[in-house]
Amino acid sequence: MKIDGTNTLPASVDTVWKTINDPEALRRCTPGLKELKAISPDNYAATLQIGIAAVKGTYAGTLRITDKQAPTHYRIILEGTGGAGFMKGEGTVDLEPQGDGTLLKWVGDIQIGGLIAGVGQRMLGGIGKMLIGQFFKCLEESLGSGS
Amino acid sequence: MKPAAFEYHTPRTVDEAVALLARYGEEGKVLAGGQSLVPLMNMRLARPANIIDINRIDALAYLRRERGVLRLGALTRQRAAERSPIIAQHCPILRDALRLVGHAQIRNRGTVGGSIAHADPAGELTAILLALDGEVTVRGPKRTRVIAAADLFVTYLTTSLDPHELLIEVRFPLPPEGAGWSWMEIARRHGDFALAGVGVVLAVRRGRIAEARIGLTGVGPTPVRAAQAERGLVGQPPSTALWAEAAEAVRGAVEPDGDIHASAEYRKHVAGVLTLRALQEAYERARKVA
Repeated sequence: MKIDGTNTLPASVDTVWKTINDPEALRRCTPGLKELKAISPDNYAATLQIGIAAVKGTYAGTLRITDKQAPTHYRIILEGTGGAGFMKGEGTVDLEPQGDGTLLKWVGDIQIGGLIAGVGQRMLGGIGKMLIGQFFKCLEESLGSGS
Repeated sequence: MKPAAFEYHTPRTVDEAVALLARYGEEGKVLAGGQSLVPLMNMRLARPANIIDINRIDALAYLRRERGVLRLGALTRQRAAERSPIIAQHCPILRDALRLVGHAQIRNRGTVGGSIAHADPAGELTAILLALDGEVTVRGPKRTRVIAAADLFVTYLTTSLDPHELLIEVRFPLPPEGAGWSWMEIARRHGDFALAGVGVVLAVRRGRIAEARIGLTGVGPTPVRAAQAERGLVGQPPSTALWAEAAEAVRGAVEPDGDIHASAEYRKHVAGVLTLRALQEAYERARKVA
């Protein structure tokens, strides 16, 4: 399942780059994140708690950042498993200057399997997009308040 | 398929149910018709610690028309609403849409309040509630409040009710006398969730459209009110070209998600085609008041 989107952030490319590499910002802005532990640089163990309506689940997994081309590009790889199913996601983030701000483009490919995929297929793409949207919205707010 | 263990509560009154919700909050889940919740529990995707079964609260099952408003108790079965002469006479779009809610067996148990509170993005009743400017009454531990449909649907399966609140009544303002209506949806098989659906209500006076309502389902995280398309219709003399313009406005206003059942482009296209057909049908049904 491929999803993508763009966000305009009110800060320079360098500032946005720092924020999207800052474990503290990732921790604060990832929806449902309970725990984020650095295993090594750019490699984290994460516990997520995500609930939509009555379906609430805890997912444990890893988050890796690779292919860094500072300050405009990286690849992010997410893997998680929980009682309701598993999730694997890979995405790229690209930054480019736009006026005084930064245009952030993201492209992701998510695979979801297990029970949750069988039942929730028709909503998963949208929910994934919504959660990623919340992540960038949070980044946007933290960047906005800093400028 | 058996659910994980849970505590089972059977309140007899709304006050008792609300007290239980106040006690359990996020750990509690209201069981009405159970047509969405119970399968999720049986698959153990949902594991609520406390089930608050409201099926014994007889005072929540009613259906009446009062001063141009249809008032439905939250526990009114979908089947009862579908077969109600009051709805057939005064709000036939609801009857037509209800016939496409799952299957008859599902509607025998499924409730009107449950459909609204569950807020499935492909629900029928949610789209009609929004199109008709409906509202719901919810009761919490401290107060009772009214939420307009426009403020109710937040995203997939999520409403602005808080976990301590119980939905107790759903109100549909009735369309004007003689208004035409149409509900159309496309699903892979009868009873499946709609890939896209649209409800239209049209009132015609002196050869012009006096009122237009368009609500869509299945084309985004929440039901969609096509307000711009509605504005483009009001005051105009009806014509096929006008319907096409409105359908175009609808296509421009929706941003559906794609999934294995249908791509985003297809849903967008279907939303337009169904709008065109529904407008045509609603117009043919409208009693033209001079």
